[in-house]
Amino acid sequence: MERRKFLGFGIFAAAAALVPGTLSAEDYRKTKPDVWTAHTMEDAIAKMYGAKPLIEQGVTLTAPDVAANGGAVPVDFSSEIAAKSVAVFQSSNPEATVCAFTLNEYSVIDFSIKMKLKQSGTIIVVVEGKDGKLYAAKKSLNVALGGCEG
Amino acid sequence: MEIKAKLKDGVTTVKAMAKHPMLTYDTAKKQGVEANFITHITATVNDKVVLDMSSSQFLSKNPIFKFSFKGANAGDKIVMTWVDLLGGTETSDAVIK
Repeated sequence: MERRKFLGFGIFAAAAALVPGTLSAEDYRKTKPDVWTAHTMEDAIAKMYGAKPLIEQGVTLTAPDVAANGGAVPVDFSSEIAAKSVAVFQSSNPEATVCAFTLNEYSVIDFSIKMKLKQSGTIIVVVEGKDGKLYAAKKSLNVALGGCEG
Repeated sequence: MEIKAKLKDGVTTVKAMAKHPMLTYDTAKKQGVEANFITHITATVNDKVVLDMSSSQFLSKNPIFKFSFKGANAGDKIVMTWVDLLGGTETSDAVIK
């Protein structure tokens, strides 16, 4: 039994080593691990971008006012700002960060995602402009049925 | 992964769905299993990165997402790969219409 466990672990470790990391421009989970464990949006944004003011313009964020199913809340966001990255945060779940996109010359900021929200709260989308400023859009929504069980 | 990619006015819009349970730490603890969720998704066209997304446990189960990019032509192949917390990975491709 012990030997079997050991072999199993070996296969798992080998698989982990083969993960293609070279494709990505930046894997924020590796370069900024603190962002993903931060519990508040303010903390997560500060760990991602440093303590900078959020300019609430230039970003369009669409989400329902009331989410019937917290397990898959549709969130759309777009912007015309020339940007380096986009990140999505929320205040409903134990940790604040949902996802982060690295942009390049091919990128168009026009995303739709579905996220889990455990309870009512606020979503913030932050666009990091090439000018170094942070542009953001906020939206508060009610969640009828919490969806962290999925 | 299911991928649909359409080119219109120079911008390619991609709709994709990754099949993944996206088990959060909370749920995994209740079920007595290890948490596992997609942590990184990339998409490339002609070896150029067109999507680079780091994600957390809070994307929905079987996450559906949409993104857009410039610079591709109809007939180009888009290749998408996800990686999860436990090192699992899946690569799929589709032709841009």
